[in-house]
Amino acid sequence: MKKKSIRKKKGIDWMSIIPPWILLAIIFAVWEIAAKTTGISEYILPPMSKIIHGVITKFPGELLPHFLLTVRVIVLGFIFATILGISLAAIFSQFNIITKAVTPVIIWLVITPMITLIPLMTLWLGYDPVLRTYVVILQATPIIALNTLNGFVNVDNDKVELAKSVGCTRMQRFTKIVFMNAMPQVFTGIKLGSIFSTIAALSADIVSGNAGLGFKISQFTKYNNVYMSYGTIFLVGLIGLTLYKIIERIERRVVLWKN
Amino acid sequence: MEVQKDARISAIDIAKHFGDKASGTLTPVLDGVSMNIQEGEFVVILGPSGCGKSTFLKILGGILPASSGKILIDGTDYGTQVPRELLKRFGFVFQNNNLLQWRTAAGNLKFMLETMRLKGEAWQGRVSEMLEVVGLQDYQDVYPHELSGGMRQRVGIARALVHDPDVLIMDQPMGALDAITRQMLTFELLDIWHKTQKTIIMVTNNVNEAIILGNRVFIFSQLPAKILQEIPIDIPFEERNHQVFSSPRFLELREKLNHHVRATLSLEEPA
Repeated sequence: MKKKSIRKKKGIDWMSIIPPWILLAIIFAVWEIAAKTTGISEYILPPMSKIIHGVITKFPGELLPHFLLTVRVIVLGFIFATILGISLAAIFSQFNIITKAVTPVIIWLVITPMITLIPLMTLWLGYDPVLRTYVVILQATPIIALNTLNGFVNVDNDKVELAKSVGCTRMQRFTKIVFMNAMPQVFTGIKLGSIFSTIAALSADIVSGNAGLGFKISQFTKYNNVYMSYGTIFLVGLIGLTLYKIIERIERRVVLWKN
Repeated sequence: MEVQKDARISAIDIAKHFGDKASGTLTPVLDGVSMNIQEGEFVVILGPSGCGKSTFLKILGGILPASSGKILIDGTDYGTQVPRELLKRFGFVFQNNNLLQWRTAAGNLKFMLETMRLKGEAWQGRVSEMLEVVGLQDYQDVYPHELSGGMRQRVGIARALVHDPDVLIMDQPMGALDAITRQMLTFELLDIWHKTQKTIIMVTNNVNEAIILGNRVFIFSQLPAKILQEIPIDIPFEERNHQVFSSPRFLELREKLNHHVRATLSLEEPA
């Protein structure tokens, strides 16, 4: 028999890279043509070329500090939320009755838009930009905890029997079986968490004002700088997408056994 | 039934039920099953599907407690549940291989050493040694999803052997395999038993397998399971090869076993 090793695809998977770019190009082209030929006012539908040009020229000077602030809020909040969400789920999952008790509460928190708390939080904590990170943590933790908890409590009976047959301790059962078995669900939670973090940070910017990309969007709109509003909105989307893709890469390295 | 003093394992009057009377869900599964298993013996349990054979194995392997009866290991009475400290002495092979899909073949074997806290080079060496016993020495770093069904089951067998248990408990280890792989693995298993000298208790629903592998075959009834027959298989080890299928003694035993299996079933045709 020949030596066998894991056959990992070393090459780049062009079939999953090219189609999205083509679609994006088509959307941009249609937008550009529509803006230039339909006669719709530039204040409603500015041409794509102007949007992109605007963002690129204004990025280094005007947008950069706001971009950095928002990215920091998203990333910091998201990292804390991931650690917190998984830890809470790990604790809750140890007791059946706690799992049952907390699940509806977690769902309730997932649904609550945390920006509604900003005015209240401002009352307690003032205008500290750290407030926005709290909002992100509050918004992303429940969705991560919910998915992770779901993975931790639904373990195949076979795996439970394997643990029993070797006399696993509680800790061994959790670290060697339950946690690893839940990896796919944990990553689903983390990916959703990255999306929630981006949305929460932007909303926090808009409500708090002063700084951040969300603040810039509302400012541009207020001064009728419509193409820059659009451009900044796209920029935010790009942040969220990048974060999501990074996590997806990590997932593919960890959850080897899926596909 | 009497406890045999020299038996490695004695199961006395084991009964098991699921559910409870109060909610009207009481399902008796085992009804007074007793057997004495000697060291180095290959015992086969044969019976219709869903007859509680697996439940009996899970009780022997410490996965489930019995509802009543007692289990003795080397003459010591442990009551209805095999204690945790003794689980090291058992190796359990699951029906659907039950490998951890996030671990390589070698990683699955190491799982046993880690949970049982067996450290040192000698134990680590057993990982490749046992994979060699099942013919997978070149597949150490391969993940279960990259292996065929037969190979996965072999990893499952190697995993059950890696901590050097006294007793191997196998729950229909070849149940999920195709006919050709199944027969091949049957003879491999015979070889593994001969090489390792382990005591093996195996459940199957295949009469040929029972004769090729077993020293004694116990036939279980339908639910709640009782032992209907105990049949010794007197074919010497040397004669248990591919030619055995046409030997008169094999055919005779097969007819006998089939007859008893048929008796347990009213509807199904025997295999």
